[in-house]
Amino acid sequence: MDAHNINPRNVLKDLVYTIIISTLIAAFLTFTGITTKSFVINLIVSQSFGLSIYSMIHFLLWIFKPEKMASVAFIVMIGIASGTLIGLQIGSFVLQQIFSIVLKQPEKSFLQTIILAITFGSVASYFFYAKSRLRISKGEIQQERIKRLSSEKEALEANLRLLQAQIEPHFLFNTLSNVLSLIDTNPASGKSMLVDLIHYLRTSLSRTFPDPITLDQEMDMIKAYLNIQKIRMGERLHFEIELPDAVRQHSFPPMLLQPLVENAVRHGLEPKMEGGEIMIKALDEADLIRIEVVDTGLGFSSFQKPGVGIGNVRERIKLLYGEKGRLIIQENEPNGVRAIIEVPKHDVQSHHC
Amino acid sequence: MMYKAIIADDEKELRTYLKSILSEIWPELMICGEAKNGKEALELVESKRPQIAFLDIRMPGLSGMEVAKRIAGLCRIVFVTAFDQYAVEAFEREAVDYLLKPVSKDRLIQTIQRLKNQLNSSTEPPARLAEVVEQVLSKLPGRGGSHFLRWIKTQDKDSVRLIPVEEADYFKAEDKYTLVITKEGESLIKKNIKELAQELDPAQFWQIHRGTIVNVSKIDKVSRSLTGRGILKLKDRPEFLTVSRNYLHLFKQM
Repeated sequence: MDAHNINPRNVLKDLVYTIIISTLIAAFLTFTGITTKSFVINLIVSQSFGLSIYSMIHFLLWIFKPEKMASVAFIVMIGIASGTLIGLQIGSFVLQQIFSIVLKQPEKSFLQTIILAITFGSVASYFFYAKSRLRISKGEIQQERIKRLSSEKEALEANLRLLQAQIEPHFLFNTLSNVLSLIDTNPASGKSMLVDLIHYLRTSLSRTFPDPITLDQEMDMIKAYLNIQKIRMGERLHFEIELPDAVRQHSFPPMLLQPLVENAVRHGLEPKMEGGEIMIKALDEADLIRIEVVDTGLGFSSFQKPGVGIGNVRERIKLLYGEKGRLIIQENEPNGVRAIIEVPKHDVQSHHC
Repeated sequence: MMYKAIIADDEKELRTYLKSILSEIWPELMICGEAKNGKEALELVESKRPQIAFLDIRMPGLSGMEVAKRIAGLCRIVFVTAFDQYAVEAFEREAVDYLLKPVSKDRLIQTIQRLKNQLNSSTEPPARLAEVVEQVLSKLPGRGGSHFLRWIKTQDKDSVRLIPVEEADYFKAEDKYTLVITKEGESLIKKNIKELAQELDPAQFWQIHRGTIVNVSKIDKVSRSLTGRGILKLKDRPEFLTVSRNYLHLFKQM
């Protein structure tokens, strides 16, 4: 009686059960002597009630497709009542035709038959109900397994994409070109750029299969990245990082913030002629850490594809924190993007991604 | 004859570098101007009339490719790029001159030899370049925007929030505006549902009712009601959506 998916196999199974149960009821009635009729007559009456109730319930469920348990119960009750009335008609018709037995209306056995039919009908319906619950819960267990497996798969895929998205070739080759040039024109500046590049590469490569790191470490790497970009873009880039001491040593998933900063530079400021500013601010709130990455770049147009980076961050927050963490993207006034990450302070669900 | 060239790159240090190795290999070449974005490059070509333009592909404002499209017949173009695989393959195929950053001296010597040959044989600069560039631009993945809405802008207290379209469960008409329903709740979009329907990707979003557009990937199951309408159950939402008869054909094969 699974109202959600009416599956022909289950309907057929229920039919077989109905016939078996009706037969058992007939046997029970005959041998306990509750009725004085023979087994054959009891069997005919019992089958006509059973099959009518079965048909009515399935018919009503098929028509109304109830979703709530209460409406299923109501429909089953109507089914039993109407099935009993129809069963009575069919049963008396058959008995009259074959055995010339007439069930007279006011007779005691008539009332008894109806009471028996409703009682057994209800018991049998409960049996079907319990069976369908079992079917549903089996289905749910299966669903749960599928869900778990697919979330593990998602985690792996996110990791893989993380690996691919990490070091942007444009960034790498442009930086190396700068270093090459600075060796002649400004060796000190070239040296510090190279130091920053090494720091950036080492951290981003070692964080592919990450252990938890501190927010301080993550911010260090972001600083290295922005230092490099500052040399490349000159006056077109200004940045500011605000990290209160209270959150410095807090553990933080690696490469969660980095893609947002890269996004702000690559899609916000680099393509903007006059460049702009980027501001990173961590806030220590009651039970969460809130980090804002604000840029004054080009901003997103409604029709621009979100970068792989942003999708990755969103996915990783979901995997790590479920509903407790989130990424909010807003328009910054007067221009640019404000990306906000909120993660709970004390519960990293897993470290596998 | 003395030849003139311009260098366009948004990074100052890289302009300096290219200039210095050029002066080493081809001291007679006069660098008559430097541009730090596409727009300046265009202006320089028009005012200084150089025979050669070294154009970085990625520049703010106009990209090197877009500049090339406009000046194709006016001068010889050498593209400079850190990494644009697709463009580089096309340049290779179509024998377009290009340099990879960091620019190597050997490669620059080759390029200059080719340029000198072309300039001395005094053939016209190939106008066909514009075609090649057009071809590359049209095929570049992820360049520019798509035709369909990617971000939904909603008013969120005092700021405008951007929600990726694929996060939306469904949209519901609300007078002149539209409500977007996501996992995190509902917010108002200042657009009516008709406008919105035209901007959304029809493969991902189906209108199922005069006032409802649903994200197909969020549909759990569809059933039919007694009155012949469809009833939609979504994956992450408790409520049911009605599919009016006019849109039922969408679910025929499901």
